[in-house]
Amino acid sequence: MTLSKKVVLLGHFGVGKTSLFRRFVDNEFSEEYKVTLGVQIKKKVVALPDGRELSMIMWDTEGHSDSVEDTRKSYLLGSHAFIYVFDITREETYKHLNQDLEYLTKNYAKVITKVIGNKLDLVKEKDVVAHLKEENIPFDCLTSAKTNKNVQDFFSELAVAITQ
Amino acid sequence: MKNDTLPLQYHQQVQVTSVSYQGIIENTDATLFDWKKGTSIFDAHPFFEMLRSFMETPGTEALQFPCIHIENGKDDFICDVSIQINPDIITVILFDYTTKYREVNQIAQQKNESILRSRQLELNNQYLLEKEAFKNSFIANINHEIRTPLTSILGFVEVLEKTKLSFEQEELARIIKRESKHLNALIDDMIDISKIESGTLKIVQERFSFEELVRGFEETYSKVAEEKGIAFESDIEDNIQEYLIGDRTRVYQILNNLLNNAFKFTEEGKVSFIVSKNYQRTNKLSLTFKIEDTGFGILEENIPHLFERFTRFEQDKQISGTGLGLAIVKNLVDLQNGEIKVESTPDQGTSFIVKLPFKFEVTKKTAPERKKKKYTLPDTKKKFRILVVEDEEITQYLIMKVLITQGTFFVDIAINGEEAISYLERRAYDLILMDLSTSKQDGFQTTHMIRNNYGDKFISQIPIIGFSGRADENARDKCIRSGMDDFIAKPFEQEDLIYKITKQIAKKAAD
Repeated sequence: MTLSKKVVLLGHFGVGKTSLFRRFVDNEFSEEYKVTLGVQIKKKVVALPDGRELSMIMWDTEGHSDSVEDTRKSYLLGSHAFIYVFDITREETYKHLNQDLEYLTKNYAKVITKVIGNKLDLVKEKDVVAHLKEENIPFDCLTSAKTNKNVQDFFSELAVAITQ
Repeated sequence: MKNDTLPLQYHQQVQVTSVSYQGIIENTDATLFDWKKGTSIFDAHPFFEMLRSFMETPGTEALQFPCIHIENGKDDFICDVSIQINPDIITVILFDYTTKYREVNQIAQQKNESILRSRQLELNNQYLLEKEAFKNSFIANINHEIRTPLTSILGFVEVLEKTKLSFEQEELARIIKRESKHLNALIDDMIDISKIESGTLKIVQERFSFEELVRGFEETYSKVAEEKGIAFESDIEDNIQEYLIGDRTRVYQILNNLLNNAFKFTEEGKVSFIVSKNYQRTNKLSLTFKIEDTGFGILEENIPHLFERFTRFEQDKQISGTGLGLAIVKNLVDLQNGEIKVESTPDQGTSFIVKLPFKFEVTKKTAPERKKKKYTLPDTKKKFRILVVEDEEITQYLIMKVLITQGTFFVDIAINGEEAISYLERRAYDLILMDLSTSKQDGFQTTHMIRNNYGDKFISQIPIIGFSGRADENARDKCIRSGMDDFIAKPFEQEDLIYKITKQIAKKAAD
């Protein structure tokens, strides 16, 4: 039997949620920025290490401009994982990260939350890591949807995490 | 089914579908999507997978999902989805608002794009600023590395000039000296530009003899005019105060640069230097300096680029220059809240007009003109012992050569501060020439030890002259504050070095 889990991509507008979504689901990337209105949903079936299959129902939501609390509540219902994406080159996309994570933990305690810093192709990883540590910004992974760096590994690990 | 209550442009289509708790479509009107009865809603679109959680844990009665993208083949519908959960059946109602949402999407697209673009510009700007800061610090650091060998070149050429040379050798030495001075001027220009751009060049307000400044130009450029076979006229308005308050060094730099250019670009005719007063109020006045030549002029299309860095026009190519001079002039004028403009006619000549504000002291009487005081060594029969603290061999050799050639000095060399201290404890010296940046212990630390750690005043009061290749206007002040008696910048003229050494030894003897 195929398992089915809902994964919601959250974060500020222009951080690359749709790029990550397309890179993971269709292995495609476009330089063109297109606003996501509402939500786009796609399914990606992944093979788990134990041989089972998992349908990851990916919800790519419209980016917020201030806080994750702006995201429509109905989009978050029934989620198994949240991926909070920020743009490592734009401070305004992670300056409320700690408050946003607190909000998600408080209101969706059972949902796994992972944090991605995207657009790694634009800066040196070493510099970003040092800067984020200095600013006390937690993250699980740094990715580049453009170059596909760390994208597939991240989703594979997430698939395992939400089925455990 | 159509909703006729909405404005025409937002006519919505609605599809109502009943689904069993197993996810089977029981009934649908297929208005938007051609779903078949008896098929699974989960196969219709992944959005409907979310129904599973309500099927597993019933309790919710109604849910609204606005703005959901649902594809139907190649078409992308944007719908508001309403889900009503009844005990035996789930009703899914899709409202198609594709047209409305696409309109909203365009506005959001423009707004977000403009924010992202402005952020990108900020980032690019930040990157450029960082690059500029790196360049400026690089120039400041490389300066020291270039000045040290340049000091040696200039110094040794001066030593060479005093030996018996053939006419050809004398000419070659003269060229080496001229080119080295040119290189030194280029370094000065580059440092000034980097200081201006990094905002570290500060305009000082000091009292200076304006009369002495302009007379200096008259003397210098009369000679240049004579050598070049052209005329030089100066016209200084009589009622300008003899002493003004302003940045003498930077005013000199501006005027000298413009006069120097005027002579460089004038092959016949004359150069005029005119100074007039614009206005005077309480203790403030504004002066206009006009430097006019009958040179080959500037093409009209080149004038807007005249004050840009590294600007060299086609007609300049025969004349030496760095292309930095006028950029520095413009920046120095701006920093002093002045104005500069240029008027030029090709083949007829150019006028640079500079307006600068100054202050003057209303009550204080003008001080008598200060001339460079002459000093002589106290006892001409005695040789004076100088300790040179310098870690670079070539500079050690140069200073030794310069001092020993005078015939009045003995010279010892210490390669760092520690060694200098041990020499001082063993032998009496008349003066120390202290490089500010020796390894292990720098010149400031060594001076501090000499001034503070010894009761023996032959050591603690020994005259110390600091020297360095870091040509900073604060260097002298820093040396004096740290307990030194004077400072000389590398590269130095032999005459200056001997003058400063003589002055300090003479002053010490007089105490």
